[in-house]
Amino acid sequence: MPRWGMVFDLKRCIGCNACVVACKTENMLPEDTFFTRTFVAELGAFPNVRRVYIPSLCNHCEDAPCEKACPSGATYTRSDGIVMVDQDKCIGCSACAVACPYDNRTQLTEEKLEHSYYGGGELASFEEPRLERWIAGTVTKCDFCSRRIDKGLQPACVGACPTEARIFGDLDDPESAPNKLIHQRNGKPPLPEKNTRPKVFYVD
Amino acid sequence: MKEFDIAGDTFRLGYRFQRHWDVSMASAFFCGELGAGLYLASLAFNSVWGLAVGLAIVGIGKSFFHLTHMGVPRKSWRAIIRPDRSWVSRGLIAIIGFCGTGILYTADLAMGRMLPPTTSLLLLAVSAVCAAVIMVYQGLAMASSSAISLWTIGMMPFIGVIYGLTSGVIIMLARADYLDLETARILYETAVVALIVDLLTIAATLNSAFHSSSGGRVSVEQLTKYRYAKWFYGITIGLGILVPLLALAVGGRNFYADLVAIGGVLTGFYSLRVLVLKVGVYEPLLPLQFV
Repeated sequence: MPRWGMVFDLKRCIGCNACVVACKTENMLPEDTFFTRTFVAELGAFPNVRRVYIPSLCNHCEDAPCEKACPSGATYTRSDGIVMVDQDKCIGCSACAVACPYDNRTQLTEEKLEHSYYGGGELASFEEPRLERWIAGTVTKCDFCSRRIDKGLQPACVGACPTEARIFGDLDDPESAPNKLIHQRNGKPPLPEKNTRPKVFYVD
Repeated sequence: MKEFDIAGDTFRLGYRFQRHWDVSMASAFFCGELGAGLYLASLAFNSVWGLAVGLAIVGIGKSFFHLTHMGVPRKSWRAIIRPDRSWVSRGLIAIIGFCGTGILYTADLAMGRMLPPTTSLLLLAVSAVCAAVIMVYQGLAMASSSAISLWTIGMMPFIGVIYGLTSGVIIMLARADYLDLETARILYETAVVALIVDLLTIAATLNSAFHSSSGGRVSVEQLTKYRYAKWFYGITIGLGILVPLLALAVGGRNFYADLVAIGGVLTGFYSLRVLVLKVGVYEPLLPLQFV
């Protein structure tokens, strides 16, 4: 059974946000809702200034604090390591959201789900599928596009990245691309002191 | 080395305020600790009305605010499913146990102790233990994850206990005229000591948080120097502790001074609950030296 993980190559990320758009399209996410984000850090002082782009998404932690905090059993880990949310069980208490050190959880309110991107109040016909997929009030997050992975595809954000800054694969396979990158370029997880053992790593 | 700023909702790398647990959650926490604290104080001073009011605050007030916070209230019963790992589930079990045994015990007390003594004692013990759990589980739920540094400070669960008991004792002052002189004297002295303990506990907690991590330091600075400082010093400390101390010291056993103390403590306690949630921050994703 694979253990899915991801590596972000900070040298390659150009901050185009194609990953963000692909994710929102794939998951039919409402306004102000992001499963993945690209943060910007400005370093140095004029004239020696540079910008660094830092992608972020759910880290699908081995020791997921969100799973431990969830009182209803809605958050669980699949056998392949993907941390999932069963919306039917979610009560929307946000205990998972305050437990996540990376602020990668989001609550889908009724207002968000029924608000159209295109003004006019009513949802367009192509926006209505989000009402079917998501339950208002639940707290959810990135699931590595589990539906695509189950079909042998890569997550939408990985496929959309023009510079191949997102590398997805089986962390238990020594020949996989993420595994090689982590070892060759000293990949680091985000906030290791939080002891969540993320399955997402950064290389620079 | 450049420090990170508060990034808010932007996509800049920096500290981000948590906004998932808001005023409704703070109100639920406040009602839980206040109601349980009043119940325990009422047990100590043998006050039936205090027991009833404490039960009502927890059973009605805390439940109401939790339900308004829930994204899917109709499924709230599911919150009880994972007591093996979730403090939310454990707390809900304590609330149900508290309300059940507390109502029976209070009714028995009000009707002149009609239950057998052993049963009455069992109800008293279980309700008291459940009340203690209610006061402490909220802080433990906040501290169970390392996400928000301020909330993981060891003293945080005990702030609920200490403030809950202080509030319970302070509210008892409203009925001090009905107590004998010696009991009333103990009540007033307990109230003064409790307020001083509250002040020291807050100071110790903030000092510990400031030195714990960068996120803890940012939270404490927001509370004591920047965005929320005027509310913290004005309401939590001034109105919540100093004014009641003054009212108790100067007013003596004066009903109106007691009311000022009660109002001040409850307002200060509520403001503390709101502010602790407001200043919780998520730390920046990567340390600056990595980038």
